[in-house]
Amino acid sequence: MIFGIFGKKSLPLVTLFLAGLFCMPFVTPRFYIYLASVILVTGLLATSLNLVLGYGGMYQFHHAVFYGVGAYTTALLLTKTSLPIWVAFASAPLVAALFGLVIGLICARLSSLHFGMLQLSLGSLLWVIVYRWYDFTGGDDGIHGISMPAAISGTTSAYYFILIITALCLLLMFILIKSPFGRILQALRDNPERCAAIGVNVTWHRILAIMIAAFFAGVAGSLFVTLEGSVFPGLLFWTLSLEILIMCLLGGWFTFFGPMLGAFLIISLRTVAGNYTEYWTLILGLMMMLTIFFLPKGVLGFVNDLFRSRSPDQPLEESSHATDKVSTKIV
Amino acid sequence: MELFTGLSFSVLCIQILVGLSKATILFIVASGLTLILGVLRIPNLAHGSLYMIGAFTTYSIATAFSQSSLGFWVALLLAPLAVALIGLIMEQGLFRFLYKRDHLMMLLFTFSFSLVFADLVKMIWGSDYRSLAVPEIFQGSYLLLGMPFPRYNLFLLLLGPLFAAGLWYLTNRTLLGKISRAAAVDREMVGAVGVNVNLVYAAVFVIGCYLAGIGGALVAPTQNITQGMDHSIIIEIFLIVIIGGLGNVWGALLGAVIFGLTDAIGILVAPQFGIVFPYLAVITVLIFRPKGLLKSIW
Amino acid sequence: MKKSLKFFCLAALVGCSLLTVSSAFAAKTIKVGIVDTYSGPASTYTNDVRDAFALAAEKINAAGGILGRQLEFFTRDSKFKVGLGLSAAKELVMRENVDILMGTINSSLALAISDFAKQEKIPFLATFAKSAKITGENGHRYVFSMNENTAMIGKAAAEGLAKRPYTSYWIAGDDYEYGHAVADGVWENLKKLKPGVKLLGQSWWKVGEPDFTPYITAILAQKPDAVIVATGGRDCVPFLKAAQATGFNKQVPFYMHTATEISTLKPLGLNAPEGVIGTANYHSYYPDTAENRAFVAEFEKAYGRTPAVGALYGYITAQFISRAYTKAGAIDTEKFINALEGLSVDSPVGKVTMRAEDHQVMLPMFMGVTTKAAGQSVLIAKDIVTIPAEETMPSLDEIRKARQH
Repeated sequence: MIFGIFGKKSLPLVTLFLAGLFCMPFVTPRFYIYLASVILVTGLLATSLNLVLGYGGMYQFHHAVFYGVGAYTTALLLTKTSLPIWVAFASAPLVAALFGLVIGLICARLSSLHFGMLQLSLGSLLWVIVYRWYDFTGGDDGIHGISMPAAISGTTSAYYFILIITALCLLLMFILIKSPFGRILQALRDNPERCAAIGVNVTWHRILAIMIAAFFAGVAGSLFVTLEGSVFPGLLFWTLSLEILIMCLLGGWFTFFGPMLGAFLIISLRTVAGNYTEYWTLILGLMMMLTIFFLPKGVLGFVNDLFRSRSPDQPLEESSHATDKVSTKIV
Repeated sequence: MELFTGLSFSVLCIQILVGLSKATILFIVASGLTLILGVLRIPNLAHGSLYMIGAFTTYSIATAFSQSSLGFWVALLLAPLAVALIGLIMEQGLFRFLYKRDHLMMLLFTFSFSLVFADLVKMIWGSDYRSLAVPEIFQGSYLLLGMPFPRYNLFLLLLGPLFAAGLWYLTNRTLLGKISRAAAVDREMVGAVGVNVNLVYAAVFVIGCYLAGIGGALVAPTQNITQGMDHSIIIEIFLIVIIGGLGNVWGALLGAVIFGLTDAIGILVAPQFGIVFPYLAVITVLIFRPKGLLKSIW
Repeated sequence: MKKSLKFFCLAALVGCSLLTVSSAFAAKTIKVGIVDTYSGPASTYTNDVRDAFALAAEKINAAGGILGRQLEFFTRDSKFKVGLGLSAAKELVMRENVDILMGTINSSLALAISDFAKQEKIPFLATFAKSAKITGENGHRYVFSMNENTAMIGKAAAEGLAKRPYTSYWIAGDDYEYGHAVADGVWENLKKLKPGVKLLGQSWWKVGEPDFTPYITAILAQKPDAVIVATGGRDCVPFLKAAQATGFNKQVPFYMHTATEISTLKPLGLNAPEGVIGTANYHSYYPDTAENRAFVAEFEKAYGRTPAVGALYGYITAQFISRAYTKAGAIDTEKFINALEGLSVDSPVGKVTMRAEDHQVMLPMFMGVTTKAAGQSVLIAKDIVTIPAEETMPSLDEIRKARQH
């Protein structure tokens, strides 16, 4: 179940994978450990987006806002106050969730593109504020040189910290998706009218979903500060939001691990291709087009379907209906 | 507030005129976007890229004719056509097969296009800034109410209503307009009565792209033609389309006017916070009328 | 010419991979990693830095390299994104094992890389980022600035403007750190030099503002004696254009850093406004010395275009690297830094020195007024006044105070 492919056999696989990640620093050069940290942080962000996007069916166009809010909360508490470090880390997701509540309250009654665009304009306003409030946020220069305690600074220590927190967050999100709340969320995506008819409060469930997604994006934001020691307004700019949307789509937005895979693919691509050409976004664009054309459910979604079609006795999951459902809505 | 002391009637008038001339470009580009959104339901993020390509093409054509003062006018004719051709290729080659897909897919598909176009523009035109001279008859400025007002802005100001009238005629009086409005509401029904819907879609997409190209061509003499033009306009025109009502051409006009005016007047009353005003206007509109001011086709 | 450069980079890459394969046999090289924006409007400036650096490196290598080692460099495109650029810098240090980091026009990224360089103890030579924080507040042993910064622009401009008869000013600019820093710098210094000046008001626009006409009419309505325009990068061109269309320059004199610089004036051709007061670090035609003429000829021959100010930064960076290693006598980071402190090199604008205390290069500033010149397709600066570096550098006291903060 965990991979959405292999059923119950996946537990040992996940354990093996995690063990591999734990051993990585012993065998790989430092740069790849750093790269793995970047992928984990971005992947966590993309997975949190997918909670509302893939599972909730909401057009969360500006998810990066919560990431940026989390990162800035951590950075500001660390640089401007003398509060203990755990306070900075604990407040980041909470403040992000609070922003999620506010934005959710304003947007949740809208549907599809209107929802997304209102979120985009609210997010842009927040970006403008961060970008120009020099005294508080450091303006467009951002805040740099944020020092971390020795236990989590340095490439390897930061990597372990990020790995543990990310794994924990993924587990929590996975449990959430399998919980009754997660089921309602997916039902809301597939048929909001029917859900409303049987007495589900659509708006509040959506707001709660946005808050939870914002919470985890906030965690990712504070992990980013741990890794890079910097914050800057680009963390809540709309292009970053689209980049993580792409990650979800490329990896497979109806699978749990799709966004993480998407983050892995895109970050590896830009690191490898970026060494040889200035035009790697062109390659990314073409790759995206091909994916949308031929693998509308993303790489993992495709693998998923492939596996399922070979063993027809496996029960169909709701995820496979989703694309059909969403796509028939506009015809 | 000492900032208000210098605010005389003539300054306010000029500022409104400037805001309106700015709104003209926004309206032309946004109307293309809203047409495509309304009829084809594609949230086209590559629209800004087409606008940028329009500006660069205008530059190239106009400078090729640098001996003649007609260069800009030739470019104004040809560049949007070139952009429309790109639109035709995009629609017939790719979008045609994707109409049944989810909006989000289309959004990301068009975003991929904007990535590709950005790099292509960089490959073709390089990184230098380009600047095109204002055509000779519109150089300099008129003195209106004692304030200078650039002639080219006046030209833009006159073009705005012309385009609005043209679009009104297109959507309300021509067969294409009528069919496309019907197709926007119910594509299958229109197909069932024997209309070639694919052709209608292609035509609307091409017209939308043509409008983006015109916008790019018209803006070329007033600003720096550079990479990054696509990003700076796309969010603005999306917001305009949203506050006007998705798919509504008049909404695009209204949205552009609101955007242009709040911008220009915001500068006057609170110069330091001028940039916040259009965003505030958008959020205010959306909080009270979440589906936009005018009727949305969606 | 672009092609040949790409080929050069590719050759360098292939060469590098060959070197790693046969590293046992080949001599080691000095590796410089350049992270900069090569996409988007800022690349107008950054390409010149890279190209002049490449040209100088080629010459150094042809003459036998530095202490017998060849100088090679790697470029990474940050796309003006801090996250991307920081990753690239880490990649260069951790994977390519570069000896020196260089680059970036993006101040925020420069500050981020500077912090990383401090942790890694790798010298970072900042080219084109203009934030005074780089060598001021956030300065440290491993960071060097190879160009003027906002504090120096402010001092130079105030110096020039104080000699002019204006008393009431308006400030307008790009609403980001650079714009505010320049405006504050000019204004603070101007108030000191000429206590009678008075500020009527300010306007700020977003970076990438397409049309400046509304701002200009609003400013004209206030009737200031002169305007300080604190706009940078790509906004300079459309601002000058709008100034020309509204006749702004004929009604109110205004000052703009880089207004006299070729990167700003070239796109406008002969349609640029005359009489605009500007400052710049470099002109291809001034100072009219043999060194400058030779530099311009060489650059034009290699790339087919006139070098802009970025070329000066790229050139002096290569000179500083080569001279510092030679002076240190060994390829060693700490010795390199010690040698670089207080080092002077020859450049197209004369001898330039790296100030030992704050690692800020001392470059003269040229203030001039735009004008049409016979037979030229681009406006040039006339009445050029040279403001020597000694007068524009922030005082050591100021640096000390900023760093304590």
